[in-house]
Amino acid sequence: MLSILTIVNLLMPILFHLADGGGNISLWESALQTGAFTFFLCTIFSVVVASDSVAGEFSWGTIKLLLIRPWSRSKILLSKYIAVVLFSLLCTVLLIIVSYGVSAIFFSGGMGGTMMGERIGPRYYLLIILCDYVDLFMTVALAFMLSAVFRASGLAIGLSLFIMFAKGIFNMLFNPERYSWAKFLPFMHMDLSQYLASSVGPGGVTLGFSILILAVYYVLFLAIAWTVFGKRDVAA
Amino acid sequence: MMGICKANMLQWGETWAEGVIEMQQEPVVRLEGVTKKVSSKTLVEDVTLDIPPGQVFGFLGPNGAGKTTTIRMMVGLTKITKGDIKICGYSIKDHFEQAIVHVGAIVENPEMYKFLTGYENLRHFARMMSGITEERIREVVQLVGLSNRIQDPVRTYSLGMRQRLGVAQAILHRPKLLILDEPTNGLDPQGIRELRDYLRRLCREEGTTVFVSSHLLSEMELMCDAVAIIQNGRLIDVRSLAGVEGAQETTVDTAFALDRPEQAQELLGGGTVRDGLLIVRLDRNGIADTNARLVQSGFKVYGIQKVTRSLEDQFLEMTGSDQIG
Repeated sequence: MLSILTIVNLLMPILFHLADGGGNISLWESALQTGAFTFFLCTIFSVVVASDSVAGEFSWGTIKLLLIRPWSRSKILLSKYIAVVLFSLLCTVLLIIVSYGVSAIFFSGGMGGTMMGERIGPRYYLLIILCDYVDLFMTVALAFMLSAVFRASGLAIGLSLFIMFAKGIFNMLFNPERYSWAKFLPFMHMDLSQYLASSVGPGGVTLGFSILILAVYYVLFLAIAWTVFGKRDVAA
Repeated sequence: MMGICKANMLQWGETWAEGVIEMQQEPVVRLEGVTKKVSSKTLVEDVTLDIPPGQVFGFLGPNGAGKTTTIRMMVGLTKITKGDIKICGYSIKDHFEQAIVHVGAIVENPEMYKFLTGYENLRHFARMMSGITEERIREVVQLVGLSNRIQDPVRTYSLGMRQRLGVAQAILHRPKLLILDEPTNGLDPQGIRELRDYLRRLCREEGTTVFVSSHLLSEMELMCDAVAIIQNGRLIDVRSLAGVEGAQETTVDTAFALDRPEQAQELLGGGTVRDGLLIVRLDRNGIADTNARLVQSGFKVYGIQKVTRSLEDQFLEMTGSDQIG
């Protein structure tokens, strides 16, 4: 997975370089485009790992061996979750290094171009990655919960990726301008990069409100995962 | 706590053989009115059982009797609906971590991480317990006879080899109680024999109490000191196997193979004729006397045999031929 991520990440700036006839693309623009594109892959892989982390133990049957060690179930689940988060961080860091590194080889010129009223430079690049990571982090928490609750990795992967791609459609269907309750849905708030352009989000909410909603859903996902995992009987 | 769980085989052997169940010391496992209900179905009902230390204790029952459910409750994989299970005095419900530390187990099939080698699997599980050295892992591998293949990935293992690896992970931390669910499944006769010898040695040398479930009666007869028999979720009998063999001084059914069984039956004025054999209930001296009488009366006695009821007969007699509940 990590090697696929690296290779795609490596190829993108090369493609940009080939497509770029007039030398219009700056280093940070290339890094930004590469990062934004391969971040999809980063999210998908993290979701796959999260979905498989608990469900896989159930389908292999090894969960029984883990749960009869002198550790409480919540600690075992916590260690699983930490491993998942570490994997997603590793993916992200790898993505940052490769997208910047390869862009630096093919492009020069440092900062350049503007997007949403801000010059594309390291600060903007890192802010975008941070926003993407928040999105990933929420999706992974959801995948992890589904994995722990349904114990079927296929279902968890499918549902999380569905939500990841259908977010836009959801946002259209449940437009907060039309339904006032829609602003409490998590999908509205997962893409924080909208606040880079304007301080007002969908339905006139603020960044603070978005973060609050995300935090509430995050706690809810994990609480469900921990409760169900702690209580459930482990049968074949 | 350590002292309580230490085995005292001799004491137990004696009291057990006499059929007097006296609690001389704290049992390793104590099941107190254990009941498991799933929605309206009762899988295990009010099972009360003490497992004394230092024994190989069999848990016998037909398929679907509740053996695995009981074992799952003993290791905390399944919640207990009613009652409690105490391991070395600690309740598995309230003090899970203190209780489970004394337990090594294989529940159902020995599933391992297939993409890791046997050694990596053992190291993974060793990390979750305190005080297991590399040396201990090697020692255990040697014990279960996997030294040659331990560096191969588990997906290349046969069922028997995985069973051995399962035993290895269960005994890594020298548990006081070893729980094996159908351990002979998939083992060849050689492997079964090795496992049996090994379990007996564990029991004798390290004082480990072994709790084995099985539906293979003959196997249990060879392996266990005592068995509990469960059917339809209820405990129907607990008995010592030494007691079965030790019943020599009492009267037993004795089969005489001779030429005219019906006439012999008339002569003796008792017994039954079955499959051309005359069966009479006699003690030791009775057998000799009866034989002398038969020979003196001109019968040709071809053979004399004790009709022992094997565990299998007793088991089938007790459980009948009920459908799986």
